[in-house]
Amino acid sequence: MSDVTPIAAATTEESTQVVAEIVRETVRPGWRTRLAEQPALVLAGVLVVLYAVTVWKDDSLLTVNGVRSILLLACPLAVFAASQTLCMLTGGVDLSVAMTANFAAYVAANQSGRGPWIALAMALGVGVGVGAVNGLAVGVFKVNPLIMTIGMASVLLGVVTVGLRGWLAGSTDVLDVVRTVGSGTLIGPLPTNLLVWTGISLVLVLGLRSSGLGRVIYAVGDNQIACRLAGVRVWQVLLAVYVLSGLLAAIGGLLFSGTTGSVGVDQTNSYLLPSVAATVIGGTSILGGTGGYTGTILGALILTVLNRLLLRLEVSEAFRQILYGLIVLALAWSYVRLTGQKVREGGG
Amino acid sequence: MTTPLLLETSAVAKAFGAVVALRAVDLRVRPGEVHALLGANGAGKSTLVKILTGVLRADAGAIAIHGRPVALRRPADAQGHGLAPVFQDPAMAPDLSVAENLRLTRVDVPAVRRHLSDMDLGQLDLGEQVRDVPLPFLRMLDLARALAFDPQLLVLDEITAALPPDLSERVFAVMRRWKERDRAVLFISHRLAEVRAHCDMCTVLRDGRDVASFVPAEGGEGQIVAAMLGEAATVVREEARTRSATAVDVGDTALLEARNIGAGRHLEDVSLAVRAGEVLGLAALEGQGQDVLFDVLSGNRKADRGELVVDGVTVKAHHPFDVIRRGVVLVPSDRLQALLPQRSIRENIAAPLFNRVTRWGPINGREEGRRIDEAVQRLSIDTRAASQVRRLSGGNQQKVTIARWLARGLKVMLLFDPTRGIDVGTKHQVYDLVRALADEGAAIVMFTSELREIGLVCDRSAVLHNGRIVAELPADAGESALLRAAHGLETVPA
Amino acid sequence: MTTVEPTVPGSYDGFATSLPTPTSRWSRLARRQGWTAGVAALLAVLLVWRVSQLPKFGAFEIRTITAGTMTLALLAMAQGVIVISGGIDLSVGSMMVFGNCLSALWMPDRGLAGCLLVAVAVIAITAALATLIGAIITASGVPDIIVTLAASFVLAGMALWVLDAPRSGVSADFQRLVAGRLDNPWPSVLWIGGVLLVLWLPLRRSRLGLAIYALGSDRKAAFLSGVQIAWTRVLAYTAGGVFSGCAGVALTASTGGGGPLASTGTTATLNSVAAVVLGGVALTGGIGGLVGPVLAALCLTLIPAIMLGLGWDPSNAETARGVIIILVVAVAGLLQLRRTRPS
Repeated sequence: MSDVTPIAAATTEESTQVVAEIVRETVRPGWRTRLAEQPALVLAGVLVVLYAVTVWKDDSLLTVNGVRSILLLACPLAVFAASQTLCMLTGGVDLSVAMTANFAAYVAANQSGRGPWIALAMALGVGVGVGAVNGLAVGVFKVNPLIMTIGMASVLLGVVTVGLRGWLAGSTDVLDVVRTVGSGTLIGPLPTNLLVWTGISLVLVLGLRSSGLGRVIYAVGDNQIACRLAGVRVWQVLLAVYVLSGLLAAIGGLLFSGTTGSVGVDQTNSYLLPSVAATVIGGTSILGGTGGYTGTILGALILTVLNRLLLRLEVSEAFRQILYGLIVLALAWSYVRLTGQKVREGGG
Repeated sequence: MTTPLLLETSAVAKAFGAVVALRAVDLRVRPGEVHALLGANGAGKSTLVKILTGVLRADAGAIAIHGRPVALRRPADAQGHGLAPVFQDPAMAPDLSVAENLRLTRVDVPAVRRHLSDMDLGQLDLGEQVRDVPLPFLRMLDLARALAFDPQLLVLDEITAALPPDLSERVFAVMRRWKERDRAVLFISHRLAEVRAHCDMCTVLRDGRDVASFVPAEGGEGQIVAAMLGEAATVVREEARTRSATAVDVGDTALLEARNIGAGRHLEDVSLAVRAGEVLGLAALEGQGQDVLFDVLSGNRKADRGELVVDGVTVKAHHPFDVIRRGVVLVPSDRLQALLPQRSIRENIAAPLFNRVTRWGPINGREEGRRIDEAVQRLSIDTRAASQVRRLSGGNQQKVTIARWLARGLKVMLLFDPTRGIDVGTKHQVYDLVRALADEGAAIVMFTSELREIGLVCDRSAVLHNGRIVAELPADAGESALLRAAHGLETVPA
Repeated sequence: MTTVEPTVPGSYDGFATSLPTPTSRWSRLARRQGWTAGVAALLAVLLVWRVSQLPKFGAFEIRTITAGTMTLALLAMAQGVIVISGGIDLSVGSMMVFGNCLSALWMPDRGLAGCLLVAVAVIAITAALATLIGAIITASGVPDIIVTLAASFVLAGMALWVLDAPRSGVSADFQRLVAGRLDNPWPSVLWIGGVLLVLWLPLRRSRLGLAIYALGSDRKAAFLSGVQIAWTRVLAYTAGGVFSGCAGVALTASTGGGGPLASTGTTATLNSVAAVVLGGVALTGGIGGLVGPVLAALCLTLIPAIMLGLGWDPSNAETARGVIIILVVAVAGLLQLRRTRPS
């Protein structure tokens, strides 16, 4: 130990201050804090209640087929939302997931003649390539992620539409393996695509929690300056995140084409905004640094069940959309209230 | 006869979470007076100014103007009561022109022009975009804007810090004029010579309370420094003498060496070296280039000139990573720059472990836990609010920022004002730790705004003034010598 | 310059700081209007190109471009004012579609005066809704991007609610008044210019306009200057709502009716962001104006037309648009980084 001993005894005020600090830190966290730390519990509760309400309107949800249809439809949404979760954890967003998915599904179908493995590899390669471009632009050239990915979606739409009359023309046969995985049944109420979803969930939940990359993803979203000062090269992290996002988008696109048995220029576009909503409902802040994939899974399930409920309610499409928007807003608002991750107002 | 007070505060207090900035401040400003508000960094001057100008609300205490109690909730309230501030940071939106900014504050623009020409700045072009106006002139514009409100009390927060001498003189002329009109000026400055020459009265703050009030011209700099430092100063000096007598031997080779570093207008030809087992203290007033020097040493900013040598190897640093991998680590001044506020203590401490791609794989939980527990124990971090470091107290947060480097391992530690705003107990833990690290063979460079810490912790010191090292002093040189050197009053030969 | 005797002995030796050299009128103009001028030049090049492609370039061709751009131009203004205040609005497109549907519901079987009255009412309603959105953003603390995303669902639903199927039959007089006859480009040009002159210019010059710019430029400085942060933010959304409402009415006039198509809204929102960025408004706020976005909207309409003229697949225009947006943001970001970094 050093030879320096504390000299001036702390004055009374200072010791009260120290005591106050200790007291503040020992006080048991209130229910709000606890809920904030366990968003999955709250969301699971919401899901159960919502499911029960939906059953009351639509008892098919109690059947094997009903459960299967929910899982089948939730899967692509959850995979797109996985992309969104990764990006949002770093404070970004990926609005090119839907177009990446459409493009990848097209490539897989188009190249189906070369055998399933090559076709799949090319489709996933599309996702990685798109993600790499996004990641370089966001990480190295500091392009705003929203703009970058909107622009990328535009580019991809053009590329696919033009390609359809040229190099992408020809086969639109969905690969058998994709079709099987996308629409088959594993056992009972479990669709085959659940296998892929479970794999992705395991990798993401465990990876975000206990891998080096997971740690730096949260760190980058929380405080980029601190990351830099800790020696983390932020661009590397962002590049990795957007590449993973592109890869997941490609997988989501393949799954969806397997479910519908078709490919289309804009077939997954209606999933784009719900994928952001599922992530936000799942408790991942778009400002970065907090959240995780567990919440997103529940968010995707909640939105899928909510959709079913709104379909069963005898209300018009108009009210369904209005309710959908309001519920997303309400969930995001209550989440912000609960956790206090409020955007700060004003100066001072 | 007693003249009624222009401004009187009684027992004004303010806390930010657990950090108490003001405990109880009584300030009395008479009309026809230039009143200096003095105090070391963190004594609470800026907080008091913000309360007086309606930017912050006091937690307790009362403010009276001309004997009438007032409530200052917004900047507009303060303005309405005749208090006009010039803040440390220019309060002008950079993308608007000066004229547009003036319109935004609803100030009388012809009056601003009049005051500008009174200060011999009538030629300044108000159509200029604020971004293009050099900082000293922005301060003068801020001053003219404040004057145009014709305030009873003009509040000048460190206005001369960014001004060249001739512009400072024009500020002093304004202060004299305001005094002659039987109004008052509250003047905050680190330059004691200015205070002695221009202020009729001064109030010294220390640790959030007013500790002395006297006429600066009579008391002189000695009295001011004594009041700013408090009684502890004398005790500390003796303590320091004991310590340097028993100081361990330092090695021969420098672990970190800066050779003729220059950076923009902030640093000019700075050279320093620190050896294993040595603690080098850096003293400077605010804004002398110490932050830029630390940015250069930590690889956060490229130097324009000169070179950085770590353990005998010249390092070209493009990113902090380039020096961190050689064991040079930084504990920055602002804890918000170092912490991941929403993440746990564990993740914060472990963050530097994952700064290369090869470490992005699965984490060995046991190994990580061991390293972290070690660091946590060594610093006795209170882990009861471990899930988010933003909930920790300032002292505990500071310990976390230090602990993460202990978990990673280090050769050279750069500490920038490591004890600012933390409680006394933690301060002493930091001192102990710094000495212990040095004894284990690390080299330490520590900038501190509390000069007594140099006598307490360091083996020797260097004083930075205007971007140059102006003095190198032994640890026991004493605070007044340091303070004089830091004020550029006299240059002690190294 | 007069020299002043130092009052602090030895503090300086008669050294006098010279006034900063004012930036030249030219560089100041370039700073303020440079980007807009650049977009105008781009537009001129594109126009010449387009003219050279057509066998005949007359009133009809001009009208095709201006009337076709009117809605996007107005929507770009809506997005522009919100981005200048430091926010973003992903619901402007849905707001436009809602305004379109509402006017298409009320306008048929009414005369010109009735239609104009409806137009005013619709714009008032969209302004009120946008104010509500702005108020929710400031009150809730939920990021603007999320609130406006949710709002875009709600507004799309409301559009479907007021009009469940496409509807036409809007008074031809009204259509001609806003969008002009097939060979008359003037009404559309005048409406775009009129909105800029009558709504934007006074706002830009007003204290509220300054406050919006100050808010986007530096929130803390704005607060210290006495700007009411929350209120100003809400009013920026109100202004955006007025412009979105105008866009909705313009859409009704140029198509003669309305349809509750959600995808129209989404595409329009993305295009409005593109026009704003290309028009020189910084996404960080505080920089730019609304003339740039309007010119950029014209460019974005011309590019597909030109590609078609070149015999390219028009879908390449999508690609080109994406590439242009990305490049513009990347280059603008680099320029701005250089400008704001202290020397």
